[in-house]
Amino acid sequence: MSVIAIVALMVIVMLAGGFYVGRARAIGAVNGNTVRLHSLPNYHGYYVAIWTGLPAFLLLAAYGIFGGQAVERLTFSELQREAGTLNASLEERLLSDAEYEEFRGAALQLRERVNAIGDDMQRLRSARGEERDPARLEQLQQEQREALNSATAAEEAAIARRAELVAAVGSEAEAAGASMRQLAGFELVQAPREQRQLFLSDAMQIANGALSSRESAELNAAARIVARYQDRIRYFVAVLALAFAAGGLLRTRGQVVPDFRARNHVERLITGLLLLSSVLAILTTVGIVFSLLFESIRFFSTVPVSEFLFGLQWSPQIALRADQVGQSGAFGAVPLFAGTALITLIAMAVAVPIGLLSAIYLSEYAGPRFRATAKPVLEILAGIPTVVYGFFALLTVGPAIRGLFTWLGFDDVVTQSALSAGLVMGVMIIPFISSLSDDVINSVPQTLRDGSYAMGATRSETITRVVMPAALPGIVGAILLAVSRAVGETMIVVMAAGQGANLTANPLESVTTITVQIVMLLTGDQEFDSPKTLSAFALGLVLFVITLIMNVIALRVVQRYREKYD
Amino acid sequence: MTDTSDTTSIRDAVSRQLPRRYRAELRFRAAGLAAVASAVGILVILLISILSQGLPAFTVNQLVLPVHLDRSMVDPEGDASEASLRRGAYSRVLQDAIRAEFPEVTARRDLRNLFGLYTPLNATRLMDAVLADPSLVGETYTFRMPIADDLDLYLKGRLVEDRTLATGGLLTISADGDALALNSSAPDFESLVEDAMATMRAEATALDARAARARNLAAELEGSDAEDALYEAGRLSAQAQALREELAENDGRIELNRDLPTILVELSGVAVRLTALGADGRTASGEAMLGDASDISGASDWTLYVIDTPESRRRVSDQAIVWTRALEARGLVRTDFNTYLFTNADSREPELAGVKGALFGSILTMLIVICLSVPVGVFTAIYLEEYAPKNRLTDFIEVNINNLAAVPSIVFGLLGLAVFINAFGLPRSAPLVGGLVLSLMTLPTVIIASRAALKAVPQSIRQAALAVGASKTQSVFHHVLPLAAPGILTGSIIGLAQALGETAPLLMIGMVAFIADAPTLGLEGLTQPATVMPVQVFLWSDGAERAFEARTAAAILVLLALMIGFNALAIYLRRRFERRW
Repeated sequence: MSVIAIVALMVIVMLAGGFYVGRARAIGAVNGNTVRLHSLPNYHGYYVAIWTGLPAFLLLAAYGIFGGQAVERLTFSELQREAGTLNASLEERLLSDAEYEEFRGAALQLRERVNAIGDDMQRLRSARGEERDPARLEQLQQEQREALNSATAAEEAAIARRAELVAAVGSEAEAAGASMRQLAGFELVQAPREQRQLFLSDAMQIANGALSSRESAELNAAARIVARYQDRIRYFVAVLALAFAAGGLLRTRGQVVPDFRARNHVERLITGLLLLSSVLAILTTVGIVFSLLFESIRFFSTVPVSEFLFGLQWSPQIALRADQVGQSGAFGAVPLFAGTALITLIAMAVAVPIGLLSAIYLSEYAGPRFRATAKPVLEILAGIPTVVYGFFALLTVGPAIRGLFTWLGFDDVVTQSALSAGLVMGVMIIPFISSLSDDVINSVPQTLRDGSYAMGATRSETITRVVMPAALPGIVGAILLAVSRAVGETMIVVMAAGQGANLTANPLESVTTITVQIVMLLTGDQEFDSPKTLSAFALGLVLFVITLIMNVIALRVVQRYREKYD
Repeated sequence: MTDTSDTTSIRDAVSRQLPRRYRAELRFRAAGLAAVASAVGILVILLISILSQGLPAFTVNQLVLPVHLDRSMVDPEGDASEASLRRGAYSRVLQDAIRAEFPEVTARRDLRNLFGLYTPLNATRLMDAVLADPSLVGETYTFRMPIADDLDLYLKGRLVEDRTLATGGLLTISADGDALALNSSAPDFESLVEDAMATMRAEATALDARAARARNLAAELEGSDAEDALYEAGRLSAQAQALREELAENDGRIELNRDLPTILVELSGVAVRLTALGADGRTASGEAMLGDASDISGASDWTLYVIDTPESRRRVSDQAIVWTRALEARGLVRTDFNTYLFTNADSREPELAGVKGALFGSILTMLIVICLSVPVGVFTAIYLEEYAPKNRLTDFIEVNINNLAAVPSIVFGLLGLAVFINAFGLPRSAPLVGGLVLSLMTLPTVIIASRAALKAVPQSIRQAALAVGASKTQSVFHHVLPLAAPGILTGSIIGLAQALGETAPLLMIGMVAFIADAPTLGLEGLTQPATVMPVQVFLWSDGAERAFEARTAAAILVLLALMIGFNALAIYLRRRFERRW
């Protein structure tokens, strides 16, 4: 068992002990006559126990969250120090290496040229009237592209040359009898950024006796350093946690006197805990907004907002690096918005009539027994995981639609179509609309209905002319909430709507939606700096904003409406 | 009401309209009932379609082979140590076992097909069996392994359309060069000749129809597209023509090929595939698929087995089907309950793939969700309902929670990716991160349900507690909370069920990988790569093999069973403890 687990157990024991000590001292202080205590003996116990356990556990939790990172960082800086001489000799070699210097100089010059052309282009773009010169702009663009490509080539050559030198220095050092730790540090520092992480995590794995992705003498040396830091931090935290627990116990034990307001202290702590919990909801929203905004801003620094929101071409799948021009992906999200709208429309065309009519029938016509069975059945539809609906759409509805339309004489109907995804999504949303409308219809006062019946209206006339108009705002709110649910629904469309970014209104073609593209962009390999990955966050931001606006409006409408009749 | 004639005229007008109004009433009511019925109907269709797809996956056809564990093969070092046993040639052992059943198979290609009756992964299972019991070395061990997925589907009757025809005549088979000549004393092949001709005619008609459609398309298109379409039409017409000519010229004799149904003549230990049917319905040519058929005369107990799905349109060869039928006839194929589905984690081979890994992943993830979202949700609800002063902050929190409840789940996945994985550096694909993300997602549900439950506790309870001297906290924790507990529990369970079925946010944090090992059920399992039930469903639904379809449906059934369990618990608790004030 690990040291931390033992310490955690010890703290628990001390906590329990603290409770009994506090309680016993409180009782002892008044010789068993507990009426004389300000607080019940248990509160004194709680007070001591909290101060014994809380700081220690907070420390242990912090260790659990940040411990690994701390070890990694310490190991990295130690290895960096170890490799200092090797790095210095590499720097020397690089400086004296004519080939490398040449490539690097060329790359720098070309970069400057790219920037200069970029400035010219900016000037041309903002020019007005006669100074506008599209042909020149085109030419500049061409030049910039060429310059960028040769700059990239020069940079790559420089990097390759550098790698050669790194290998040379490494093998020389090994021959000269450098220690494994020096070599490990050298390998780590010279590795590209993403491989550093891999190196460190492999070292961690070896240190913990788990399987790593590869083995080498350098890794083993690094693993020993990792193990050393791990042990140090672990024992430090263990001792500190025990000290916290013991200190808390000793300090609070002394506070237990008959007049001590233990209950108030404990209750204040509890209230603080409750407040902290409710702040978490805000923190979640803040987290969502900031993570989306932060990544989106990074995305919009490479792709203009207007191009993203109004561009008609969506093909981000081409891998691109920031320095690769000529093969840039297209980030025009209009096809995604159109696809989302089309599927949502189909879903609403299914869900609104069925959901609304079901709600009307259940609340106005059905007897209590029928209602008691039909309502839970409708709720089952809401409880089915969306991935199940996706499977249903993919394997049952899709082929059925294809068969039907092929039979009707359409050619090349695809299985993954907007129609099958929309229909199934509509089914998913039925219970949503029916239960919300049911609430709304039920809250229309009976007096309105009675008045209508008294005038001789039939039931259906009462419903369509009196109840519905009265419930309309609430129903609109319900539909808005359902739309926002449909817009954000992911699994059904991922599985059943296909992935082609077609800008079409034909429900038999495959379309793609915002959510599908987020999933496509973020599953599988990802470099976190490419616009491709970042664009997913921009799409997420759009999704969040759309649904947020709809929710706010819907909630307002529903709430206003409720207040009107309450 | 003074003018009686006026009232009667109004009454008349009303009663004239009444039938129409009643009809409208009836229509409206029928529409409502139809809406409810269609919703229920869709649910029934959904469940039936998943049940019918998934139930076959709960049984598995297994090869039960006597496997001779030769010491020299299984234990190359000869010391029966674990290291030595691990290096044994188990796939050779399995290959020898199946070759023993079909000694006549020698050609390299045929052998490869023969070894395709099972997946090579079973060698590892055999090794595990030997490692568990080293005394098996040198013995003959009865090894059970699932038959290849396509053959499993075939045995379940879900891969091909087939039928068995009884025969009346005595069968004589003689060698005729490389082929076999078959002769029956009764016209047993007659119906088959007709069937084959009908199939060819239908095929020709279909080709004609496609050609006509291509021509129509050509008329609509322009330029090179039109030319392509015309060329296609010409090609299809020519094919149809060729088929018709073949039918007309061959004086009724029909050559069978991969595009026509397969016809097998089966008698004990022998199987012959027909290559041509004679016009008289009594003669045929064939090739041996199993056993020695070159000299049979006057056999009476023979049957015709017809596979209507042509070989070119299915994934299993005639030969594999013949072998499988032979093994079945010898009693070496047994249908068992599919334990692999529950004891294995994911696998590339559908017959060995199971939900254990996903189930463990789900359990670990749900543990995190329970430990985080329930206490935090309940605390928040208590604060907002019982303590919160009416101010801007609490208003903001309220609005926030309502909005969070409606934020699309995938956005929580983006949050998890950006914050937990990229900023905090927690491991990808881990149940820990999945649990954190799902906790944040379920939090609003739990809070809203708990607030409703707290609100339902009457004010008099609180006042009574305060009146006898309890503090605010005491009144809440000693009196209000216990009374609200059933409602809180029900709401929490419904929120948890939601989290259990959620997929989209977990795709964002990398829980969508192929993971062949189940995570350990413990603290260390929280950071091991894992997947969960709904994601497993998603992964399998993407699987190329058709057998994964049934697995997917089976996994859905397991998932639905879990969800129903959760919801039933919630309903039970609600019924059991519900209190109306």
